[in-house]
Amino acid sequence: MRTVVLVLALLALLVGPTWGAAQPIPIGALYGITGGMSSIDAPGANGMRLAAKEINARGGVLGRPIRLVVEDGKTDQTATTTAMSRLINVHRVVAVGGLNDTTFVLAAGPIAQKARVPFVTAGATAPQIPEQVGDYMFMAPFGDDAQAYVGADYAYRTLNARRAWILTDQAYDFTKTLTRFFKERWTKNGGTVALEDQYRGGDTDFSAQITRLRAQRPAPDLLFVSAVPNEAGLIIKQIRQAGIRTPIVSGDGFDTPLIVSVPGPELADNVHFTTHAYVQPDSPKPEVQAFIKAYRAAYNRNPENAFAALGYDTLYLIVDAIRRAGSTDRAKIRDALAATRGFKGVTGTITYEGGRRVPKKSVTVIKVTRGKLAFAAEITP
Amino acid sequence: MRAAVLLRTGGTAAAAVLLLLLAERTLNEYHLRLLNVVGINVILATSLNLTNGFTGIFSLGHAGFMAVGAYAGTLLTFPVARKAMLLPDLPRWLAQVEWPFLPALLAGGALAALAAVAVGWPVLRLRGHYLAVATLGFMVIVQVLATNLDRYTRGALGINGIPPYTTLWWVAACVAATLVVLGHLLDSGVGRALRAVRDDDLVAQALGIPVARYRLGALTLGAGFAGVAGVLWAHLITVISPGAFSFLLTFQIVVMVVVGGMGSLSGSVVAAVLLTLVPEGLRRLEQGAVVAGLTIPPLFGLSQIVLACALVLVMIYRPAGLLGQAEVGWRHLRHLRDLRQRRLPAREAEERG
Repeated sequence: MRTVVLVLALLALLVGPTWGAAQPIPIGALYGITGGMSSIDAPGANGMRLAAKEINARGGVLGRPIRLVVEDGKTDQTATTTAMSRLINVHRVVAVGGLNDTTFVLAAGPIAQKARVPFVTAGATAPQIPEQVGDYMFMAPFGDDAQAYVGADYAYRTLNARRAWILTDQAYDFTKTLTRFFKERWTKNGGTVALEDQYRGGDTDFSAQITRLRAQRPAPDLLFVSAVPNEAGLIIKQIRQAGIRTPIVSGDGFDTPLIVSVPGPELADNVHFTTHAYVQPDSPKPEVQAFIKAYRAAYNRNPENAFAALGYDTLYLIVDAIRRAGSTDRAKIRDALAATRGFKGVTGTITYEGGRRVPKKSVTVIKVTRGKLAFAAEITP
Repeated sequence: MRAAVLLRTGGTAAAAVLLLLLAERTLNEYHLRLLNVVGINVILATSLNLTNGFTGIFSLGHAGFMAVGAYAGTLLTFPVARKAMLLPDLPRWLAQVEWPFLPALLAGGALAALAAVAVGWPVLRLRGHYLAVATLGFMVIVQVLATNLDRYTRGALGINGIPPYTTLWWVAACVAATLVVLGHLLDSGVGRALRAVRDDDLVAQALGIPVARYRLGALTLGAGFAGVAGVLWAHLITVISPGAFSFLLTFQIVVMVVVGGMGSLSGSVVAAVLLTLVPEGLRRLEQGAVVAGLTIPPLFGLSQIVLACALVLVMIYRPAGLLGQAEVGWRHLRHLRDLRQRRLPAREAEERG
């Protein structure tokens, strides 16, 4: 009997301290930190880590610190799904944020949905994601419909264009969707389409498409290019080298340093693209300034692109929901997320309206003039 | 003797079923998922070894055959209601089928095997590098077809929401079937003929072995199992897109075969298990940690670096792979026991013969 009491007392001593201290709340960050998505997923993960550090420095949430568990999906579907499963079953996270590509979100999402763990994608923009995955799936960025609509409105009203040439990469879900929504709004606005041309991701020579563009009479006054970062710079370069100075408009696939470095500052001119935020030191917005300062302090460089800010916002969004839920219960966090109204982030204000889990959010337009990026407009579609 | 074989087989099967039951009851979803991935990789590695290791056809098309199986299986099991939404342009006969898993598995394997016959016919006239490049070409063609046949594959968008039929039991059954078929085949006269074709096809031909037919047969069978693995994979991940069946995937499987030993079935099994589990084990290190007050920063990419170094070391110290052409199995365990009892019947028989 005495030994039993002794053992119990010892156990209490061992367990006691952890009972007393606040247990950290585990939250998952899933990104393709290595592999093809690295250039946008690694900054995203850095953004989330920065947010975690700040939140804990301010005392965490519900009186408990958070523990951000970062897993690498390796830009591979098998590795991404096992990583999601590991976050849920081994680390027992209360929510997961991350991933910037639709294909990987659609692979990892159903695992979180089945386990009833809220999952917020930081950067995947296909608007049908939450519908296809389920009620535990949320998007932190706007949908492609929103940015394509803003692109079309901006081209029609600000650039005063009426006749568009459309070039679409056929290899991606994202580029095809963007074109579809752009065309829908463009024709509704009253614009006409001179020619719809296409290429395939990985192509390096666009002379055939450019020849067809030059043959158009009357000449189009707008070039809408639906591309991913890989080809963005090359297309600008070859169009401008052909002597065509018509404005080029695109989506967040153009949010990459490649659009200036590949064509060079002389040719990277009169290019406009929609994206999540203008995260540059000359931004007029104080919250962006604060984010850039914190990012510089933590990583010794400016944020690489808007995906760093999206990762940062995603974690704050999740933690905000935990605070409003007043609990780490996953179902309550889900309900709190769904009830998010006017959450102010670096990349805009997030509101989930009418049961939709794609936020109504403002879209930023960036203008490139002779290699220099500048904030052009912020439009809520 | 016959009874002993039956007893042994039955005993192994019973033990395997017990282990699986135990695994299903005690392991969490993550570990079960990993086991499934291990099983699928075992099927892929052993079936590739049949062509690359045992028959001397260095194929780089395995991911292509896997893709054929994955897409075929998916189109057959995909719920009719969701087909109408996601794939509205499917031909009627395909839009109205919704098969159970088993026939879809078999059909996926059969279609991949059929593709292998079509490809093998012209390609197997080539040798060495030419053959490798031609099979790689097949893989690229499959990828391009999957990207462009929007009606059937949704192109680059891929098909998502595939019913998650793949369970530990299906994977285990497929692994067992693969190992039994390949093991028996390689132990038979056919297996010896395949090795003869690999070592010297002229001599094999002189011995009366129909070299072309045997090579085509090996490629077809290997592709069939790759197709089955593809169906399993699609119903485990629940999303397929052309990008997944890339050169990287083929390369991963080839590495498993080379590391395990070209021409060793058990070597492929060992390598598939190791090369799947070791990177997962390294995840903890990648995340960084605080050990005894020291903060280790996160080192993402570490698992790939460790794996690459391990590969280089294996190639330096064991160029023939971990097991070379040796096998580990029942017979070898028995041989060990015999050695211990100093009976060595096999060796004696060999010497007498």
